[in-house]
Amino acid sequence: MATNDMVIEAEGLGRRYRSVLALSDIDIEIGVGEIVGLVGPDGAGKTTLLQLFAAILDPSEGRCQVLGHDTVNEAAQITSKIGYMAQGFTLYDRLTVAENLSFAAKIRGVPGGDYMARRRRLLDMAGLTPFLDRREGALSGGMRKKLALCANLIHEPPLLLLDEPGLGVDPLSRRELWQILDDFRSEGATIVLSTSYMDDADRCDRVAFLDRGRLMALGRPDELRAQAKGLVHSIVSDRPAEAEAALHGMAGVLGIQWRADSVRFVMKPGADISQDEKARMDALGQLALAEPGMEDVFTILRGDESVPGEAETAVATRPAARAATGKTGEIATKGLTRRFGDFVAVGDVTLTIAPGEIFGLLGANGAGKTTLIRMLCGLLPPSSGSATVAGVEVTSDQGQLRQRIGYMSQRFSLYPDLTVGENLSFFASAYGLSRRDAREAIGWAVEMTGLGGQHGEMVARLSGAVRQRVALGCSILHRPAALFLDEPTSGVDPLARFRFWRLIRILAEGGMTVLVTTHNLEEAAYCHRLGLMDMGRMIAIGDLSALRAHFPGRELATAEDVFLAFMERERARPQSERAAS
Amino acid sequence: MKLSRIFAIVEKETKEIVRDPVTVAVALLIPLVMLFLFGYAISFDVDNVAMGVLDHDRSAESRALVDRFLASGYFAMAESYQSAIEAETALQRGAVTLALIIPPGFADQLAGGEPAPVQALVDGTFSATANLVAAYANAIITGFGVQTAPPIEVAARVWYNPALRSVNFVVPGLFGVILMAFPPLLTALAITREKETGSIQQIFASPVTPVEFLSGKLIPYGLIAFLQIVMVIAVGFLWFAVPLKGSLGLLFGVGMIYVFTTVGIGLLVSTITSSQLVAMLLTLILSLMPSFLFSGFLFPIFTMPYVLQLYTRLFPAQYFVDFSRGVVLKGAGLAELWPSVLLLLTYTLVIFALAVWRFKKKVA
Repeated sequence: MATNDMVIEAEGLGRRYRSVLALSDIDIEIGVGEIVGLVGPDGAGKTTLLQLFAAILDPSEGRCQVLGHDTVNEAAQITSKIGYMAQGFTLYDRLTVAENLSFAAKIRGVPGGDYMARRRRLLDMAGLTPFLDRREGALSGGMRKKLALCANLIHEPPLLLLDEPGLGVDPLSRRELWQILDDFRSEGATIVLSTSYMDDADRCDRVAFLDRGRLMALGRPDELRAQAKGLVHSIVSDRPAEAEAALHGMAGVLGIQWRADSVRFVMKPGADISQDEKARMDALGQLALAEPGMEDVFTILRGDESVPGEAETAVATRPAARAATGKTGEIATKGLTRRFGDFVAVGDVTLTIAPGEIFGLLGANGAGKTTLIRMLCGLLPPSSGSATVAGVEVTSDQGQLRQRIGYMSQRFSLYPDLTVGENLSFFASAYGLSRRDAREAIGWAVEMTGLGGQHGEMVARLSGAVRQRVALGCSILHRPAALFLDEPTSGVDPLARFRFWRLIRILAEGGMTVLVTTHNLEEAAYCHRLGLMDMGRMIAIGDLSALRAHFPGRELATAEDVFLAFMERERARPQSERAAS
Repeated sequence: MKLSRIFAIVEKETKEIVRDPVTVAVALLIPLVMLFLFGYAISFDVDNVAMGVLDHDRSAESRALVDRFLASGYFAMAESYQSAIEAETALQRGAVTLALIIPPGFADQLAGGEPAPVQALVDGTFSATANLVAAYANAIITGFGVQTAPPIEVAARVWYNPALRSVNFVVPGLFGVILMAFPPLLTALAITREKETGSIQQIFASPVTPVEFLSGKLIPYGLIAFLQIVMVIAVGFLWFAVPLKGSLGLLFGVGMIYVFTTVGIGLLVSTITSSQLVAMLLTLILSLMPSFLFSGFLFPIFTMPYVLQLYTRLFPAQYFVDFSRGVVLKGAGLAELWPSVLLLLTYTLVIFALAVWRFKKKVA
């Protein structure tokens, strides 16, 4: 029998899908009031573990007690008590906010009186009260996630299981999600969540690190970070590219992260930096130990066991990137505006992005980032204003524009039932490359993205991180002068993310202009300049230090702090003033 | 089982359906379109059959025989020929279904009391109509020569559909077929859609039991299907003027049971499939196709090989088609038709039980 203070007790828990072992040998105990974060690369088994806890999946080995009930024999007792929020948007998009909540309450038998009181409290916390009668499908991604969380809290469950609650959610909404979670935890609820954001992991009481179905580490964030102490170094240098190149030849380096003014790297435990190497690096810049973050812990735990096939070629070799068309990829807009009826999705955006620049577009869900990108790609005509991309007016020659730009959308538009090679060939022919050019272009793109050896793999069977590189490969086949990436790293683990950003940087160094959106503000560090959007307006443009300078006297350590400061200031301004600006 | 939970699901499902006006319109309009198309298109009636005449005799009697054909209302004069070759090519072209050849000396032979041979060539490519055309032609020709009453008189009466109108036979059958065609499709998509969006995981991780969930789905879709049957029956009686011999209440009552059979098939399909596309194809194969082929709607079952006859018993459309024709055309009541009703009821319960048994609150 379960002891009273353990909410989850798993013993040797495992799950097999036909011959594939998704999860094995998981031993974990989670106590009342704990927040436990599950982190790990794609396909590590996080979702499977949450589904096993929720008793909506039977284990193929081991056993698990949740709230004192066995997940196989007493599944009904468990499912009737817990809250479980699956990945993606799982509410009913044709029902309104109020109707979705009321449905959740009715199927869980919440009494009418309690319902109204709880609804008020939850919606106030989530900031959804003004949208009571709006259909769920018409909400922004962040609001949908918050609503899903409210729907799972309406019966005040003792245990809440959340699968990637922050995926595709802007920082502001993510902060609100956490406020709600902290609130419920303080009332005694236990929370288990999976995440690919390392700052989410940092906020948990304990973090469980999963890799290929196994539990690699479990502990408090500070304990885990302490393990990485002394292994994380940084070189502050004005020649980061050279520093990085030097690190690539070095033994024992597990991960390299490139920042605007420095290069961070993580050493394998036990590996030393030789005197020679130290001397070489000192010549490039200032070598120092750095404070380890959860991302570094992640890198160390994955160690050199990185999944075979997910080739390291992109890290190891450095193929020359060349922009093809001979045209520079400058992007220039003037008063660019797009209205949908009365709604201004993008208002009066004037912007110039230089060739070879990486420009990061930040903003809450629904701020107008995707609309702006779609206009620049010629997919959506502007209502007013003008834009020139790589020397082509976006409203003029669509065919010519398409030849000069690459676009990778939020949902990678690949064909899952074709192999990697077939996808690449298809896109090559779609861009109208001749047979010989196509072969050459595919060779180049495969080398660039490190997809060697995966030509024959079916895309449907690839992990999200590899799929992301295939999608990037497809969008650069014709060597565009300007590249648009809409949330390319959403849901991808830190290591794959470093690798992806390195690619982006190599492409930009070759002269490609890159415009990228992200909700992961740690990634702001990889961008030369940032643009902050809110309600369709560009509210600030500049590099991180320039943006920080908008708030003299305030301690804004991270990009996220800067972003939230801007959002706070915007929200504080009266509606009329904002509309007029 | 908690009624409040079933009610919550019914309410949610109804709102979702109503807010998708395209689906509602399609669900209500397509059955009507099908009823009109089939009501008008499917006809075994012999009516205005194109006939050609090769008259070698050119006498008053030969013309009187042709007039007899035209006056019957079954035949319409299309062409006349000068030679047998012309008549043959006309049949080959499909210009006429019947070619009547009257040899020279027809009038003289009639006057002399001798047997007068007349040739009627019938296009037999569509056998059902050809048989009727040949029989009608035969009857007209035989009746032409006879002046005195035959020694035995056959008093043949056609019961239940005395006018022998095809529409009277087709429309009550269509009630069964249309209901088997559309409601299962709608329902099959209802659960697979939740599987595809992932919203079903929220149902899994909740106190809702399989019976509650499936009942909550069954009721609103059953109501839509019932609306379809009401519409189809109303149009059948009011527009196509099909006579109603039996009780309308009985027809609706058993129609209600049948509606749940058809919706239940859709539910069962959606519990075993995971994508909307597969569910749709499987439903077409399980419900629409057999309801056309094996319900006796168009093709009589008693002419099928015995093994196939047993196979047709698997599909419920047949029982409702039998029932519907019995009530509408024969004025039969429960006393005669109870076996069909009992079978439908059993079928519905078995299907629902199977669906509940197959519906596991597990993601894999």
